Amino acid sequence: MLFKNKISKLLVMGILLISLLVGCSSGGKGETSSSDINGNGNNGPKEINTDELIYVNFRDIRDLNPHIYGGELFAQNLLFEGLVMITDEGIQPWLAKDWDISDDGRTYTFHIRQGVTFSDGHKFDAHAVEANMQAVYDNYDRHGWLESIRLLDSFSAIDEYTFEMKLKEPYYPLLTELAVTRPFRFISPNCFINGTTKDGVDGLIGTGKYVLTENHIDQYAIFDVNPTYWGEKPEISRIIAKVIPDNQIRALALEKGEIDIIFGTNMIDAETYLEFSQKEGFAASLSNPLATRMLIMNSTDEILSDVNVRQAINAAINKEEISEGIFNGLETPANRLLARTVPYCDVDLEDYIYSLDKANSLLEEAGWKMNETTGIREKDGMPLDVQMHYNADSVTEKTISEYLQGEMMEIGLKLTITGEEEQSYRDRMKAGDFSITFNISWGTPYDPHSFLGGMRMPAVYGDYAAQQGLKEVKKLHDTILKAFISTDEIQRQAYYDYILTYLHEEAIYVPLTFERNRAIYNEKVKNVTFNPSQYEVPLDKMYIK
Amino acid sequence: MRNYIIRRILFIIPILIGITFISFLLINLNTSDPAEVALRVNEITPTDEAVAAMREELGLDKPFFERYIIWLGNSLRFDFGNSYINNKSVSDEMLSALPATLYLAAIALMMILGISIVAGILCAIFEDSIGDKTIRGIIFVGTAMPNFWVGLLLMWLFAVKLDMFPTSGMSGFSSVILPAATLSLSYISIYTRLIRNNMVQNKNENYVLYTRVRGLKNWTVTKHIFRNSIQSSITALGMSIPKLIAGTVIVENIFAWPGIGRLCVSAIFNRDYPIIQAYIVMMALLFVVCNLIVDIISASLDPRIRRTT
Repeated sequence: MLFKNKISKLLVMGILLISLLVGCSSGGKGETSSSDINGNGNNGPKEINTDELIYVNFRDIRDLNPHIYGGELFAQNLLFEGLVMITDEGIQPWLAKDWDISDDGRTYTFHIRQGVTFSDGHKFDAHAVEANMQAVYDNYDRHGWLESIRLLDSFSAIDEYTFEMKLKEPYYPLLTELAVTRPFRFISPNCFINGTTKDGVDGLIGTGKYVLTENHIDQYAIFDVNPTYWGEKPEISRIIAKVIPDNQIRALALEKGEIDIIFGTNMIDAETYLEFSQKEGFAASLSNPLATRMLIMNSTDEILSDVNVRQAINAAINKEEISEGIFNGLETPANRLLARTVPYCDVDLEDYIYSLDKANSLLEEAGWKMNETTGIREKDGMPLDVQMHYNADSVTEKTISEYLQGEMMEIGLKLTITGEEEQSYRDRMKAGDFSITFNISWGTPYDPHSFLGGMRMPAVYGDYAAQQGLKEVKKLHDTILKAFISTDEIQRQAYYDYILTYLHEEAIYVPLTFERNRAIYNEKVKNVTFNPSQYEVPLDKMYIK
Repeated sequence: MRNYIIRRILFIIPILIGITFISFLLINLNTSDPAEVALRVNEITPTDEAVAAMREELGLDKPFFERYIIWLGNSLRFDFGNSYINNKSVSDEMLSALPATLYLAAIALMMILGISIVAGILCAIFEDSIGDKTIRGIIFVGTAMPNFWVGLLLMWLFAVKLDMFPTSGMSGFSSVILPAATLSLSYISIYTRLIRNNMVQNKNENYVLYTRVRGLKNWTVTKHIFRNSIQSSITALGMSIPKLIAGTVIVENIFAWPGIGRLCVSAIFNRDYPIIQAYIVMMALLFVVCNLIVDIISASLDPRIRRTT
């Protein structure tokens, strides 16, 4: 016997195990940094730091070069500004104090704000605008999807504070495209490499409210207020953007007080949103509807090439149930491709109403007869079996797919669903290798022009490929361009009427819900609002109290 | 012994060629055209001309074997090309992420050693006691639970409820405890059982009886038993080190740990083939080298191995 009795044995074992546990935990105590990045935020009473906001993102800020698409938009927005900005009241001045548009709609003359400098001291003037515009244009291949680049004829600095852009054709969404986060934002020409930005940049110096002070790749980035900012300085002097890839861990970090806010549709699921909206010490905000979540059907597909089948699928989907059952009412049901509130989209269309009877009669009309033994309709011996692909990384898409699979059986349609890893899913979509898949409109302020414009280009999303089986596809795409270059409001509206009506009648899209932006945050964070663009996070407007 | 080492090192060459070839082949068998992927990830419309230009830029217009030889040659110089996403050198990306992974694996290893030795010895000393059964029960449960779930549970309890550690990220020493504990849990179970069982076997050996007859102290007897029981664990540990490093993939993603595991997962999601290839080669190299070291140590301890291999 090594020890005399059982009690002493247990005692020794207990002490050893406890000492091990204590040894581990004491190593972590007492380490707090000034900015509380360590996350031991709740150790004892602590005064609220009103100067600092801890934001969270699912990935690193990556390459913030404002002229390419590889960086996180929220971070680019903190550093770089554009000539104009989009507000709820429309296009407003920013680095351009005002502008003139020629009568033919082809020449835009911007009067540049004086007294603005980049945070490295370089003067911001019309020459800096020209250099940036040239840098964007140098990378034409990357920006070819933007009509404003395709239609750009010439541009130049007329004098120190006047900049002129000439277009080949009038293009009414130009100011919107100049206002969105990229690519028309301004970086100090001192950061250019070989006189341009297409091969990268040598610094991230903008005119924005914040400057990037530190970036620890895949960990966190620190943005401090720009001491030389030309306008009103924001209340919060330091923003720390932490990286937490996992959805659940972000929520735990918010609960613990390691982060102050989670912002964005893809960052918070409906369940977490509801949980925090009721949790003490936390608050939640929801934006107005931003974009339409929808299904897209490939009109070149053997079965789906028949408009009756497409319309039947549209009629067989209960959007109310998806809105309530899957989104807990956070997303409202959508019965049209683009909401009436989207510019030029207040068009009278006959909404698709949920009706299994209508769906069944449309399928009968199309020649699909019910096989009572299998419960699946057939036509010339071919079963009504349609493939549907979804992004397996999206919990929402998986749930909707499974729901639809059950729903479609009600009308004798067998929906075979396949989940794929996001990149494969996107590749499939762009290649047009699908029958039914998910789609989303670009959201404000890109809708309707960027969403519709994207339909004209192969490999932007799945729209181009899906529309190839439509009889009037060429006319549709030509009309989209005509709407963009029309200078007559009434004529332009007429073009949009045709586009939206045609797409609605052809039913290749199944609108499901209107997506809304969302945020959950510690109640000390005030003024959590939403910009018109869903991709922007108005961190500069928030304050802590 | 020298001949044995030379033989083993030479044997590594065909293994590495095989591994690099398979990893190169697998990536090339992928249905997505790398040139198209490289364009798409940068939001460039893959027109025929753009794809052709990118194929030329990436050297994809050359025959498969020529491409492999070029890639292998570059890899030997630790040049794995540039990332499709940010155009940075893959080697630099890997090297900047590696320290975080090694740090995590090292702390996990220390936990494995510390806890499994103590728990293993205690279980052996108090064989079949309530304590022994309890620890074995915990070990059984620990082995059965998947990493990501354990990670979440530990985070919820120790970070959120007890507020002892941060939930995620790499900041001070406290931030490594939970990910390292998650990573080490299943290994602790294995080694505790291994040490316990070996010690229990050794307890019945004649030399133990002899030491007791000599009237040596209990602690001294236990030390002898432990020394004679630890050999198999050391061998197994040699192979656990590369597994620990490769096994950080899930833990790093849960705990937002900026190591190569997370780099690899991001690369997979982004179809960043050069990083994926480099990761496979690095992990394979790690396994092969660790295996070699373990073999050499075993051979140096036991001459029979040198003769039979």
